[in-house]
Amino acid sequence: MGPYYKPSPQNEFLNKLRSIAQNKYSISIIGIVITIVLLTNFIIQIVLGQLYIPNFSSVPNTDFFDLRSFEGLPDGWQHEERVLFCVPLRDAAAHLPMFFGHMKNLSYPHNLIDLSFLVSDSTDDTMGVLKTHLKEIQNDPIKSNRFGEIEIFEKDFGQAIGQGFSDRHGFEAQGPRRKLMARARNWLWTVSIKPYHSWVYWRDADVETVPKTIIEDLMHHGKDVIVPNVWRPLPDWLGNQQPYDLNSWQESEGGLQLAKTLGEDAVIVEGYVEYATWRPHLAYLRDPYGDEEVEMDLDGIGGVSILSRAKVFRSGANFPAFSFEKHAETEAFGKLCKRMGYSVVGLPHYVIWHIYEPSSDDLKHMEWMAKEEARQIEESKLKQFYDKVWSEGFEDVRDDWENDRINIFKNTDTNKLKNVKVDWSDSDNFQYKPPLGKDKDKVLAAFDPQEGK
Amino acid sequence: MKAASLNRNNFIRQIRRRPLTLLGPLFLIVLTYWFFFTSSKPTSKYSYKTKKNGFFSRQHDVIPRNLPGDHIAHYDLNKLASTPMAVYNKEKVLILSPMSKFYNEYWSNLLRLTYPRELLELGFIVPRNKDGDLALKKLEKAIKQIQTGKKENRFSKITILRQDTESLDNQQEKHRHALKVQKERRAAMASARNSLVFSALGPYTSWVLWLDADIIESPPTLIQDLVSHDKPIISANCYQRYFDEEKKQDSIRPYDFNNWVESEEGLKIAENMADDEIIVEGYAEIATYRPLMAHFYDANGDKNTEMELDGVGGAAVLVKADVHRDGAMFPPFPFYHLIETEGFAKMAKRLGYQVFGLPNYLVYHYNE
Repeated sequence: MGPYYKPSPQNEFLNKLRSIAQNKYSISIIGIVITIVLLTNFIIQIVLGQLYIPNFSSVPNTDFFDLRSFEGLPDGWQHEERVLFCVPLRDAAAHLPMFFGHMKNLSYPHNLIDLSFLVSDSTDDTMGVLKTHLKEIQNDPIKSNRFGEIEIFEKDFGQAIGQGFSDRHGFEAQGPRRKLMARARNWLWTVSIKPYHSWVYWRDADVETVPKTIIEDLMHHGKDVIVPNVWRPLPDWLGNQQPYDLNSWQESEGGLQLAKTLGEDAVIVEGYVEYATWRPHLAYLRDPYGDEEVEMDLDGIGGVSILSRAKVFRSGANFPAFSFEKHAETEAFGKLCKRMGYSVVGLPHYVIWHIYEPSSDDLKHMEWMAKEEARQIEESKLKQFYDKVWSEGFEDVRDDWENDRINIFKNTDTNKLKNVKVDWSDSDNFQYKPPLGKDKDKVLAAFDPQEGK
Repeated sequence: MKAASLNRNNFIRQIRRRPLTLLGPLFLIVLTYWFFFTSSKPTSKYSYKTKKNGFFSRQHDVIPRNLPGDHIAHYDLNKLASTPMAVYNKEKVLILSPMSKFYNEYWSNLLRLTYPRELLELGFIVPRNKDGDLALKKLEKAIKQIQTGKKENRFSKITILRQDTESLDNQQEKHRHALKVQKERRAAMASARNSLVFSALGPYTSWVLWLDADIIESPPTLIQDLVSHDKPIISANCYQRYFDEEKKQDSIRPYDFNNWVESEEGLKIAENMADDEIIVEGYAEIATYRPLMAHFYDANGDKNTEMELDGVGGAAVLVKADVHRDGAMFPPFPFYHLIETEGFAKMAKRLGYQVFGLPNYLVYHYNE
């Protein structure tokens, strides 16, 4: 007997099991016991684990909510989870038709989306255009196109800074501007968020191209805060496309060191040479053929399109309107969420497209291009005129001369001549006959071909 | 010719004998056609079939469903104001109380407040444990009594929330104040406060009164008194009634030490602390030498005396709703080494608001 045949305790146990299994009665008893244990567990959980739920259905103006029911599931649209759709607007009348075009196409069940707009410091008819579009969409004959609750808020924060692209994106303007925008965003969500919202989606009105499944695409990742990559198309002469949102980034050593050197109220803004942070940006990590599902951890985020669990806001995260860890608004929101232990994620290969607004440099270049075009047209007109004067003032025979020259040289081109053989052998025998008649006086010139030899 | 007809006969006979040889391929062709060409629309990436949330889940009937098409609410927040003439201007006040225990004295004191009920909203949040269940049951009973009673006695709106995060289990009084558990406890409290204010705050709310559920006595004109100071944040002084064994008489003593003015010492301590550490008042381990408002009480002093503060407690604090709307919240993490209500005061200051206290204006805490 080798060591291999020694019955191990496991084998013994298996054998026992086998013998039990061969007995039908024991199997059914085991089955019954397992079922009973599971059932009692289940019942105990329901009876003891269930928290008390008060009933205020008959009490006026009184509501009870268990916030646990609105935590936000990755497949929220299948659980009737409501999304608060926040749109800050300022002088946005021109963008609204495009925006509502996207809204109509949204695939997230419209009745589960509550819209909330903040119109602030607008000089155009943003409010009028907004209301027209909302009335139209809410009276759509197809009921599933209509949205849930709609709230419009008006609040002016005073606008020290203009809204032109360069006004907005100039370096010095960034700090105060971002703080003001943060205030506006906070006013919007604090007045509109309800206990029954599970998700909050932030969206700028000036997004040009966006998938209709944007909310589901972001939601199914199941992250607390998530943003797509934001690019913008460009005219050909600027290279077709460009990253737009540089506010989505990962913190770097350089960024942290820079932060230490700055004053308490300073605001670091990305994409400006004044603050070189060497942070990895979401925008630059895009691969046009990359997997859209790829995630990247972020510390600061941009505000063009943010999906966030509502509990993130409810538990206190907001857009700091002061310098929080040397940042403000959406970038500081990312940092604040991180600080509060929430996951902040970006999708480098999932892209939405912001509209192209030319910067003042671009505008200058475009003006130059337009002037150049006009100048060229003017020049060609002048050229035609001068040409006409020239042709009428002189008889231009240059072409005739050219032809003559060709004709003359055509036959004298020695290269084209064949080698002609002349038979001079009979020349010596040549008999000269003097001419007759009226030419009889003419004499031959003295010529002898042999003379030169 | 003959061969061909023979072949055909053979073929037909074959079909008769085994019909499947013909029907099989035909069926396959139909099937492939059906698979490839009849799928009318490209199917979506996601399923939109509604899933049930569980066998015992309850439908929430307060959530708006099927609103009329032209239901578009419009609020002009430029007209929303918080003025010292709050009653006259019909300004709405939201009273918020995180509640882990329901005290009858708290409720009766709340009902004694003279601010018009139609301008008063209430908000409560209860923890996710047995304490919360008990408080919720008592609260439900009390609310039902008042809200189904006379119309002029009803509050304009009441919101009750169950906290979403698990609560630290009920702690004994001694244990509750141990320095180690303070951070955790106050972080949970901060989250609860934030959930409460941001769920209940409406576009019409002018003032928010934070009134702890263990404040059992205050002047009935509490709101009007605090409003009249017209400050962004103003805190009453929180004391406690007790029986003085030495003097054998009823007496009062300071209770809430979170109303304070920052000191040199406090700043120095903060400077040398790790990022995630907090300073809390009332512990021998951390001697900040901060002037505490609790110690500035003068029984004969003017009730309206104001003092500027750097930290506040949550016992009875009146806040202009704009402060919260600007983003001032109760940090559930060390913010300048401060947390919860003290961190809130700091954040409000960072947002450019001033914080005040009324040292001679007392409210009283329950005595355990």
